[in-house]
Amino acid sequence: MKKLIKIIGLTIVGLFSTLLVANSVFANEVNIFSARHYDSDVQLYEKFTAKTGIKVNVVSGKDKALQKRIKEEGKDSKADIYITADAGRLGAFQAEGMFQKGASSAALKKVVPANFRSPYWVGIAKRARIIYYNPKTVNPSWNMSYEDLADPKYKGRVVIRKSSNIYNQSLVASLIKNNGEKKTAAWAKGMVNNFARKPTGNDRAQILAVAAGEADWAVANTYYLALMLSGKKGAEQQAAAKKVMPFFPNQDGRGTHMNISGSGILKHAPNKANAVKLLEFLLTPEAQQHIVNNTFEYPMIPGVEANKLIAQFGLDFKQDLKTKVSNYGKLQAKALKVMNEAGW
Amino acid sequence: MIKRINFWVIFAFLVPLLVAIPIFTVFLSFFDTTGNYLDLLKDTFLLKYLSNSFLILLGVLSLTFIFGVTSAYFVSFYKFPGVNFFKWALILSFAVPAYIYAYSLVAFFENYGTAFSILTYLFGEGDYNKNIPKFDGLIGSMFSISFSLFGYVYVLTRASFVFQSHNLIEVGKNLGLSSYESFFKIILPSARPAIVVGLSLVAMETLSDFGTVDFFNISTLTTAIYNAWISFDDLTTANQLSFVLLFFILLLFILENLSRKGAKYHQNSKGNKPIPKIQLVGGKSILATCFCSILFFCSFVFPVSQMTYWTIKFPKYFQDINFWSLNMNTLLLVFLSSLFLIIFSFMTNYGNRVSKNKLISYLSTFSVSGYALPGIILAVAFITFISWFSDFLSSIFGFNSFKNVFIGSVVGLVIAYFVRFFSLSYNGIKSGYSKINNSIDENAYLLGYSKLKTFSTIHLPYLKTNILLVGVLIALEIIKELPITLILRPFNFETFATKAYSYAAQDLLEAAAFPSLCLIMWASIFILFISKYILSEK
Amino acid sequence: MNPNFLEIKNATFVASEKNKINNVSLTIKEKGEIVCLLGPSGVGKTTILRTIAGLQELKSGQINLKGKTISSKNFNLEPEKRNIAMCFQDNSLFPHFNVIENINIGAKRKNGSKFNYSDKDLIKILRLDGVQEKYPHQISSGEAQRVSLARSLLSRPDLLLLDEPFANIDTSLKEELQKKIKDILKEFNITTIIVTHDSYEAFFMGDKCGILLDQSLKQYDDPYNIHHEPNSLEVAKFLNRGVFVDVKVVETDCAVHSLSHPTLGEIRGKLVNNFPVGTTVKLLLQPEDLRHDDQSKLKLEVIDRKFRGTNFIYTLKTSSDEKIPVFVHSHHIHQHEKSEKFGIKTPIFIDHLVCF
Repeated sequence: MKKLIKIIGLTIVGLFSTLLVANSVFANEVNIFSARHYDSDVQLYEKFTAKTGIKVNVVSGKDKALQKRIKEEGKDSKADIYITADAGRLGAFQAEGMFQKGASSAALKKVVPANFRSPYWVGIAKRARIIYYNPKTVNPSWNMSYEDLADPKYKGRVVIRKSSNIYNQSLVASLIKNNGEKKTAAWAKGMVNNFARKPTGNDRAQILAVAAGEADWAVANTYYLALMLSGKKGAEQQAAAKKVMPFFPNQDGRGTHMNISGSGILKHAPNKANAVKLLEFLLTPEAQQHIVNNTFEYPMIPGVEANKLIAQFGLDFKQDLKTKVSNYGKLQAKALKVMNEAGW
Repeated sequence: MIKRINFWVIFAFLVPLLVAIPIFTVFLSFFDTTGNYLDLLKDTFLLKYLSNSFLILLGVLSLTFIFGVTSAYFVSFYKFPGVNFFKWALILSFAVPAYIYAYSLVAFFENYGTAFSILTYLFGEGDYNKNIPKFDGLIGSMFSISFSLFGYVYVLTRASFVFQSHNLIEVGKNLGLSSYESFFKIILPSARPAIVVGLSLVAMETLSDFGTVDFFNISTLTTAIYNAWISFDDLTTANQLSFVLLFFILLLFILENLSRKGAKYHQNSKGNKPIPKIQLVGGKSILATCFCSILFFCSFVFPVSQMTYWTIKFPKYFQDINFWSLNMNTLLLVFLSSLFLIIFSFMTNYGNRVSKNKLISYLSTFSVSGYALPGIILAVAFITFISWFSDFLSSIFGFNSFKNVFIGSVVGLVIAYFVRFFSLSYNGIKSGYSKINNSIDENAYLLGYSKLKTFSTIHLPYLKTNILLVGVLIALEIIKELPITLILRPFNFETFATKAYSYAAQDLLEAAAFPSLCLIMWASIFILFISKYILSEK
Repeated sequence: MNPNFLEIKNATFVASEKNKINNVSLTIKEKGEIVCLLGPSGVGKTTILRTIAGLQELKSGQINLKGKTISSKNFNLEPEKRNIAMCFQDNSLFPHFNVIENINIGAKRKNGSKFNYSDKDLIKILRLDGVQEKYPHQISSGEAQRVSLARSLLSRPDLLLLDEPFANIDTSLKEELQKKIKDILKEFNITTIIVTHDSYEAFFMGDKCGILLDQSLKQYDDPYNIHHEPNSLEVAKFLNRGVFVDVKVVETDCAVHSLSHPTLGEIRGKLVNNFPVGTTVKLLLQPEDLRHDDQSKLKLEVIDRKFRGTNFIYTLKTSSDEKIPVFVHSHHIHQHEKSEKFGIKTPIFIDHLVCF
């Protein structure tokens, strides 16, 4: 018995000491908290390490929970960079004072459009939230807008995911910014009246609903269709995706709603210099090419071609560059309220 | 007995206190500055959250009751084709976490999903989407949770059927009851305590579920607390919601405790003849076989097949995974956590046993409520507490911050698991202990054994089956555990659960298939390892 | 001067609010004595044993073993340090060990006492041959008790406490075991306290007997004296199957005392307690006190007859409506039916006249 206790005790001590050592800080490293889960990002970091010798450590998780952990860890946090999808989230986190200036270095300012960066964070890739339709049943006029989807003539023909989704919150935030809260509230009610079904599933499920004939119109991000077309989801979904057409709305107005995946350098980042290096790397043509070919987002910098699955939809559509993405964060709560009141 | 503060008593006091800390933190941290989430929430949404939680709970309880009790009834009392297989096969459902079940469910039934592929393969091209049943997230959550949890009801009810009812059934036959009557008048009521214990375990797991309802985008009390607290920093609302949740949980605890007490009266000691099983023939036999087959198929074969199908169909994702490190990480967590949980539960139980102090016993009872606290809330509470405590010590005594020792480390993970699953292991050991009569201890003392020696030579060997059982239960929970691991893990640290989640989050359920399959495989191995004890009829 | 082996001084044993025994004083002078505590169920016999063993605390008073205090109001030596073994009434074998393992656990106690029997011998003596390899849940409760006894014996305790050791053992085996165990205890000079509700067992096993009644130790004496000279009405009532009849004290001066009863006439014998002539007292009449004699002129009516194997017990009615039991050997040539007349041998002589 005593022997057993000794063995167990030694094992524990051994294990813990290995763990503590394993946890100890490497001199040349950069630590990322990421709410983006792409494996391809990890491959990108490996490239970065190969180039610079800087080790990249990642924790991925749910957006808000990661933010909470960063906040609570405070100045002891080892996190250097926070990466998330959606400008609204970046804006909200910035508003809490969690980022430090410096994300947009001089080099980055040259390549990233002003609308997609701030002193505190910088966009890494773009996505558009667009309309999808079934070409067999409907044919949108060239100037159709998000606003038009609330038209009673589409009653029972529209699908979109739940109001709790951040992409919807950002979209509605941009509508509030442009049309005002009152008008947007009326729009939201119109949308709910046009729903073909109770909101369910993710963006891809909305596109599939159009493919399956459950609805004529869907709202979803661009890369979901490309993902299906790529065959990564299997032949059936590839075939289904071909039954659906993407449509870039608001072409005669402010342009299509754009959003970003972005990242900022955290207030207590222990490896700021490395963090800046990594961000700069992510916005090199090499890295951008890797991103667009894996996640099917739009490149953030000029001179990089979007993946052909995305490029075939047309790249010359008018992007909404007028509505600053930083508004998404500010108007998030209002957007949620508008949708909730409409019963979305 | 002997009123003296000793090592054991101190343990029995300290461990539950430690476990109770995060639970206190959840509530205490809410008396702080506050946001405005309630404004958004109060009109329609609070009611909606409550009704969602309630509906899911109701649905899950009904389904697990029907699945669990019916299957337990069939395998305990009857012989029919496959009965010996179903007896253990049905507990394999434990291996499939509800969120992985949800992945399978969605993947199978969605437009152009697996069902569509199968129909196309069988009947050629066609517009099958309209004919494939669709269900909303609420129903989806209910089924996912029910299929992954009905095992609790099945195992406990079956044990109670096997151990208790024989004499009662004979008496019933003597009194001329039909088998229908004896089921409803004798068998079912006599198993009631076991069923209630099973159902309350199911209820607690259901209330604390995050992965499934999050995947289906259903707002429940748990997600509402998460949103109010973490997304909106609205502590007042989080507090109010938590109290509602706590109320639910408290109710369940009382119910469960009462039933456990009730269950004691039903424990039959030795000399219990095994129940002679009745051979079913004809329609009844087909019915029993069908019911069990369908249940086994739905709960285990279906998700496993879906995951296997994907793994084979998309071999690319298979290569992307660092299989070895996932195994090592998962097993490391399982090993460390089970070890600590078992050791400390033992000491606490023993301390409780020798001290018989009311306060300690209350504290242990309270601390086990960590089980009912949703993992995601617990994880955040843990982070909050550690940072507060570290800042507090730094400001008062100038200590170095120790946040990094506990947050984002395996140590922290193990402690958080400890808090979450202490109830499981404490009660598991306790149920074994309650079978050791106090006079056994006294006998050992009288034969000259000290407390430590009594513990090591009498209790430990006697409870070794219990330890194995508890160890495996903890292992199962930790293999399946997601939210705590996700938030508290160190850099570059993945388990099967986080890997599967991460793929699911990027809408690549196909890639989530392989880690999910590995997770199910490990869990199944553990289950098969202990099935002998779970299903023992002695 | 050697101290007494065991001393219990003014001890109060408390099992529960209702169930306690006050102010017990009891001494075992020599090592090797066997004391039986006799009392009805629920009087607190077990509590006394548990307290002596150290499993419960003493409320007041003191217990000394071999001159050392082991229990007092403020002190309780831990049970494992007392070298006192106890056999519980309900079986308390370690369920995960088989019989032989259970027995051998007792042997591991480290102390100097000598005990020549091996586990094998005890198994033979206690008739446990067939069950050595079985587990506690597979054996009968009587067997379990014997295993428990063997285990305690092997642990060579200073003091052995037995709680109803023969309660679950078949009558046929009981007497044999009682004898064997008494022999072993005597051979190895093991001081023993046995608790029982069976007076025959107490009288056979005990060098001394204590009678526990109504929350106190009523009498502590040799078995013979307890049986024949109970010191109170309660003790007499508890121990005996007889009845009390009212008699008048007639003569106390001579060697043979004399009482008179309205129906039975003169009863002679030796008064245990002294009473003045002329007083009316209650006399204990036990079944063996009166003898049957068909020729006798003293005849009483039979109101009941019970067959008890070796004998009959006839219940007779006196003119004052007292019901008196009388033994008759069961080989007696004829039987008396109810309401027949039944002769009693006169003059009546009873060795010990127990009166109160």
